[in-house]
Formats: sequence, structure tokens, C-alpha cells
Amino acid sequence: MAAALEIPHDRLRQDLWRPLRGAGAWYIVAVVLVGLLVGWGLFAWGYQIRTGIGVVGKRRPVMWSFYITNFVFWIGISHAGTLISAILRLTHARWRTPVTRAAEAITVFALMIGAMFPLIHLGRVEVFYWLVPLPNERGLWPNFRSPLVWDMTAIFTYLTGSVIYLYLPLIPDLAQLRNHAAGWRRRLYKLLSLGWTGSDREWQALERAMKLMAGMILAVAVSVHTVVAWDFAMALAPTWHSTIFGPYFVAGAIFSGIAALLLVMAIARRALRLQAYLQPLHFDNLAKLLLLMSLLWVYFTVSENLTVWYGNEPAEMAVLGERLRGRYAPLFWVMVVCNFAIPFVLLGIRRLRSIGTATLSAAAVLIGMWLERFLIIVPTLARPRLPAAWGTYSPSWVEISITVATFATMAFLYLIFCKLFPIVAVWEYKHASDR
Amino acid sequence: MLLTGEFADREATVTALRALRAKGFDPEAIDLYSPEPVELEPGLLDRPSRMSLAAVAGGVTACLLAVAFVYYTQTSYPLVTGGMPIFSLWATGVIFYEMTMLGAIAATFLLFLWESGLLGRRAFPAPEALDPGRIYLRVRCEPHQLVTAGECLFEAGVVRVKKDKLP
Repeated sequence: MAAALEIPHDRLRQDLWRPLRGAGAWYIVAVVLVGLLVGWGLFAWGYQIRTGIGVVGKRRPVMWSFYITNFVFWIGISHAGTLISAILRLTHARWRTPVTRAAEAITVFALMIGAMFPLIHLGRVEVFYWLVPLPNERGLWPNFRSPLVWDMTAIFTYLTGSVIYLYLPLIPDLAQLRNHAAGWRRRLYKLLSLGWTGSDREWQALERAMKLMAGMILAVAVSVHTVVAWDFAMALAPTWHSTIFGPYFVAGAIFSGIAALLLVMAIARRALRLQAYLQPLHFDNLAKLLLLMSLLWVYFTVSENLTVWYGNEPAEMAVLGERLRGRYAPLFWVMVVCNFAIPFVLLGIRRLRSIGTATLSAAAVLIGMWLERFLIIVPTLARPRLPAAWGTYSPSWVEISITVATFATMAFLYLIFCKLFPIVAVWEYKHASDR
Repeated sequence: MLLTGEFADREATVTALRALRAKGFDPEAIDLYSPEPVELEPGLLDRPSRMSLAAVAGGVTACLLAVAFVYYTQTSYPLVTGGMPIFSLWATGVIFYEMTMLGAIAATFLLFLWESGLLGRRAFPAPEALDPGRIYLRVRCEPHQLVTAGECLFEAGVVRVKKDKLP
């Protein structure tokens, strides 16, 4: 780490700005591939809007399905950045510098993707503004006391804060890029760098703002996923009406966020040739965090299911039975393997812990956490309190296409971001080395 | 007059700054330019800030606006849902909290723009190109202070000095 931090300034710029120049064959292939998937997802959404919401698999009683699973999953992923970056910033963790921007970008993109799902779920997207708590004179009778309104305000605040939190430390890098770029890039960087000169007034204001923002964004991030959890917990549905849903969701969000960050870092390290900057130490530290969150996730999952089992309430037992040994049991046990067994073995045994196993564990956790969100939502809705209303759910090609497209959208946005902005903050890296 | 000194390292810059402050130069008359932040001891070149206060003020203002807005929306068409009171703190507390944080975040960002000088026009242009690894120290002084300021810079080991007229 120390050796890497002593990289001269010119080499730093050369290495970290290299990905901004030109586009290699792999980049074009990747953009085309994910672009096609995004296009397919947009086609599926267009088909749903044109034909009607009946083209999706959600039916009474399972009215929340893939779309809300994706919503919760992506909002969870968004905790990668801001939360992790803010914690590391506030605790002055020196190793954070190559990691923070990659994490903050994940937050913004994941939030943008997640926030799309209430709109997609609506079916009639043209009436999305009915969600806005405007006065009742329009005769819409929206329920202002609904947790869904909490969601809207929480996500809007988090998105605004996260964009600012990503943007602030980008400004000095943008100013440096402005001084060395030409053409449209120079115009773009000039516009975004706001005339940054590198004066001590600017640095001091930036440092103060980042400290304040880190504290505030932590509070907002925790509240956002708590509010998402309360969407469920406020309903008197079996296994949802739980007091630990807030912290359970927040822990799960941080868990999946770290996994997303590890995966993005592993890809960026190889694709952008950043081996000197994203070092085994960074993966090792994040892998330990991932392992810790895995254990915390197990604790919450056991607590949640044990209280349901011990209570032996028939409606809740029906849902638990569906999860553990019924229709959804295969998904449940795959989730346990992905979220616990794989990270526990690969990251818990020191000799096995490496960049490769950390990446593999991260990929497994992402699958596991998506399944966890699905298993929280669908079995409960499929087994309501009235047995006569029980039903099943199978996703249609539209839901599957849109779900796949969200992952492609994340990749697409990241590919664009990597071409426009350095994925590692040059000035922060240099500053850390000077200290 | 504007006296700009170019330094090769942080230590020399800090020595020059200490000397300038000891000779009575006010922090308002001194600017430091660098591609990375330079860590300075407290009191050397402190810039007064109201950012924390602005964050609190922004949060309180946004919270009051949110309370007023929610109260208005709920009482303008009093619709009972779920047996809750028309204006219920339990059901709307989250909205107030989120709007408070939004106000604090927005105020912090605006104060950052204001205090950094990025919002307004600068009275004095910055050095044209910041050489990586170099630190520039600029002093605004009266003609009779020029020699003293120059001595402070040279004694600290300045690499190059440039003298300009105030625009």
C-alpha cells in the first residue's frame, strides 16, 4: 500500500486518466451488448404500457412481485456507496481513497434504477404524478399518510444528497481535466468544475462540506432503507408486521451494497488496468466487511424466522412453511447458500480469501440478496390470512426482461461514467499519499 | 500589488505562511493554490465558516415548510384513512425528517458554493496553470509592504516569485 501511494503525480494522472481516452474494442462490445439488453428492456416496458399491466405475471393476491423486488434490491444496492464511503470518510480510513468514488457512483445509478420501479409497477405510467402529495382539490384522494409517500420523499432526499456527495469531490478532478482536455470534453469539464482554481478557500469549503455531507448522508441512507422496510412492516400481513424489519433491511442493504462494490471494483481493476490502485488490501478489507455483514444477516434472518416459528400463528406459519419446505424452498436454500455458506467458507478461511474468492462471494451475495427480497415479498402475498384467497405467482417475459435490463442499465451507466470521469479520485489519492 | 510565490513543497509554504502572519499579514490578504489540499495548523490560514449553522438553518426551514405543506394538504380535504387523525405526527414524521435533511443538504451545498467563491465573481484571478506538485502562495499588499512580503517568501525557499498589479 505504502509503495503504491508513492506513485508520482504524473504517473497517477497517466494511469487514472487513461481510461478516459479513446474506446477499445472490448469497450465498444460491452456498450453494444448492454445497450441491446437495455433496449430490450425498454421494448418490454413499452409493450407493457401499450398492452396493459395484464401482460405481467402479477395477479391477485400477488400484486407486488418482480418490480417491487427489484425496487427494494436496487435501493439496497444504493447503500454501497454513500453509506460505505461516508463511514470510511468519517473514520478517516486511509485505504478508502481508491474505493469511494466507485462506491458513490453505484449509489447514484442504483437509486436512479430503483426509483424507476414504482413507475413501472404503476402500469399506467402517465399518471405517475398522482403519487405527488398535491392538495386534494383535484379530487384524487391520495393517501398522504401512506408509507409510499414516505418512500417518495426519502428516495428524493437520498438521490439529491448522493448526487451532491458524488459531485463535490469530483470538482477538483474535473478542474484538472478541464486544464488538459480539448473540444467537447473541455467544455463539459469547464461547465462542471464551476471555475475551480484550487485555492485554500475552495479546499477548506470542500472539506467542511464533505464532513457535513458524510454525516447527513449516513442518517438519510439509514432512513431510506428503514422506510422501504416500513412499506412492508406497516401492513398487517403475515411475517411483514415485524419491529426488526427496519434494521433487517438496512443490514441487508449494506450487505448487498458491499457486494456490489466488490464486484464493480474487481471488474474495473481488470478492465481499466488499475491493479496498482485497487490492491489486494482493498479487497481484503471489503471482504472482511462482507463476511461481517453475512454473519449479521444470518442473525437477523434467524431472529425473524425463529419468532415466527415460536409464535406458531397459523397465517405466519403458512408463509414460513412455503419458504422453508414449500414452493419457494429451493429459492430459500439457494439464498442461504449464497448469503451465508459461500462467503463464510471463502472469506472466513483466511487461506482461501483472495480477490477471486471475494469477487465470487460478492456475486453470490448479490444473487442471494435478490432472492431474499423476492422471498420477503412474494410468499407473504401468495399466502394471505384468508386461505380462500391463496394464489401463486410466475413472472412473465416482460418482468424478466425488465429485470435483466436493470442490471444492463447499471453496467451501461457505469461504462459511460468510466469514460467521462476518473473512477479513482486523483487528488484524494495524492493527498492520502502526502499524509 | 499581488505577489505570487511558487513553492516546491508543503514545508516551505508553511514556513512562508508563518512568516507572513508574524509580519502582520491578514489571512484575508493571503491565498494558497494547490492541486491537492495543503494541511495547515489551526490558526494559520483559517477561513471563517457558517456552513454548520447554515445546515441547521436549512434543515429547520425545510422542516417548517414541510409541516406547513403537509398540514395544508391534509386539512384542505380532510379524508380519514385507517382511523388516523387528519393531521398525525406518526403518519407524517418521516416526511418531516426527510425534508429536514433535504433542507440541510441543500443549504450545505449552497454554502459550499458561496464560501469557496465558486458562486460569485472572483476579485483576483487565480494563477494560470497549477503545476502538479507545486504550491502557489499569493499575497495582496500595499507597495510599502512588498519588500517585507518578498523577504518572507525568499527566506522560506520560494522557487519563483511573480509580481503583478492589482486588477
